[in-house]
Amino acid sequence: MTVVATLVEVTLRGLLSRRRTVLLVLLAALPVVLALLARLGGGADAAPVLDALVVRTVLPLTALVLGTAAIGSELEDGTAVYLLVKPIGRLEIVVAKVAVSAVLTSALAGASALLTGLVLGGGARDLDATLAITPAVIVGGVVYSAAFVTVSVFTTRALVVGLVYTIIWEGILAGILAGTKVFSIREAVLGIAGGLAPGAIDGGLEPVQAVALSAIVIVGGTLLAARRLAVQEVRGGD
Amino acid sequence: MTGPGIAGQAPAAPTPAPAAPAIGAPATIELDHVSRWYGNVVAVNDISFRLGPGVTGLLGPNGAGKSTIIHMLAGLLRPSAGSVAVGGVSAWRNPAAYRRIGLVPERETVYAFLSGFEFARMNARLQRLPDPDAAAEQAIHTVDLEAAAHRPIGTYSKGMRQRAKIAGALVHEPSILLLDEPFNGMDPRQRLHMIALLRTMAAEGRTILFSSHILEEVERLADEVLVIHAGRLAASGDFRQIRRLMTDRPHTFRIRSGDDRRLAAALVADAAVFGVELTDGRLTVRVGDYAVFTGLLPRVARAAGISLYEVAPTDDSLESVFAYLVRR
Repeated sequence: MTVVATLVEVTLRGLLSRRRTVLLVLLAALPVVLALLARLGGGADAAPVLDALVVRTVLPLTALVLGTAAIGSELEDGTAVYLLVKPIGRLEIVVAKVAVSAVLTSALAGASALLTGLVLGGGARDLDATLAITPAVIVGGVVYSAAFVTVSVFTTRALVVGLVYTIIWEGILAGILAGTKVFSIREAVLGIAGGLAPGAIDGGLEPVQAVALSAIVIVGGTLLAARRLAVQEVRGGD
Repeated sequence: MTGPGIAGQAPAAPTPAPAAPAIGAPATIELDHVSRWYGNVVAVNDISFRLGPGVTGLLGPNGAGKSTIIHMLAGLLRPSAGSVAVGGVSAWRNPAAYRRIGLVPERETVYAFLSGFEFARMNARLQRLPDPDAAAEQAIHTVDLEAAAHRPIGTYSKGMRQRAKIAGALVHEPSILLLDEPFNGMDPRQRLHMIALLRTMAAEGRTILFSSHILEEVERLADEVLVIHAGRLAASGDFRQIRRLMTDRPHTFRIRSGDDRRLAAALVADAAVFGVELTDGRLTVRVGDYAVFTGLLPRVARAAGISLYEVAPTDDSLESVFAYLVRR
């Protein structure tokens, strides 16, 4: 256990020492500020606002920045070598990296969803939506983190791959080709929210599908990343 | 002199080491016909050697393949052909091997936000040592970093950073220590300290392999030397032998003087001078022994009353020394 705890501590301190991470707090605060403006301007429905600002934007972007930084940046700058030349399972390394990214992402995006919904106010239906989307976003933080940590073990261009996935696949294709929704983490998040508050949220996967996809990405991604890390080659100076 | 003709250079037998943590197999390093290529580029070309306890220097110019060899030994690269064993096992896809291996990579980046002590302790914890704090403190003491132990590594000088990396690598008292260009960025005092430290560790029965492109570093520290050039093992064995090989080769000097023609005539009369050449007003002299010639030249010039303006060895780069050894 001390091994994972040590990995978590080092990863957490590494992420928190970066300026980028601080900027993510501002990103998470943005929907709250916009909600305040909307409230002053006459109010808005909670569900579509939370979908657009938190589920589509804050959540994937936060996970992308943190998930790719958690291990990808270490592989790139060479510090990952200090973890790789240790008698520890590669799975332990990946679990720690996913955990740190997940906790930070879920905390930021979850708080953003909850506060945005509460600031918007509205009726009972809006409150239901907020209280359903918030835990769904927290789960989504874990799913996205597992996905992006995995991608960053496979490619040094994880940031680009992640952006293309979120913007093109989840943002555009899922709207045109309904079948692609099955592979959309965003649709899974909406599906979980829909399961928690039936009728308050439109769209998304069936709750069962949503939970299945989330579980597959978290477990499958983590195992895949650990397998890949076991054969990770690190080149020297020549 | 390439190939595996270096048997017996190191005690290959499992000699019980005095203070080394004797776990299972002896602390040997073995490469058996190892090659490694990246795409079409051959970085390491059919190298075999076997090392036992003591300090061995891996000497070669930049880009010779030293880092690739060390990374293969550390299990960070898979050999394209041949086999690599450290302490009797391959570290590739075998994390358990790292209990006995300490690696100091060449890259300077260390977790800048950790202090030297925290970095050593992190390594101790990841090695699952029973008392990580005590082990980290001991390692920090060993590399003489106490004064800065609790400052972030980001504020360290290059030499201090290097020592922090070494503290992290030896915190678990490995029986095999691999160091990639460990002296980079160290000042002369730190260098001496590090040489003394590595010698002590070797005396305890550890097997230490370090790479360097600086002849003097290797000369002062290593008992045995492996010379690598262009991915091949150019020479190996006792340092003095290799030094002799390097100094015995013919040297060429370019000379500018008050009267090149007369100087050439005076020099060619001496047995130490193999040949002189005077083309386009440039005098080039080929000599057998470097030291003899550098003593001879001023005497000859003075006797003939000729002023020397410029004396420059034309091929004294380490690169040419290695190329010479490979051609032999």
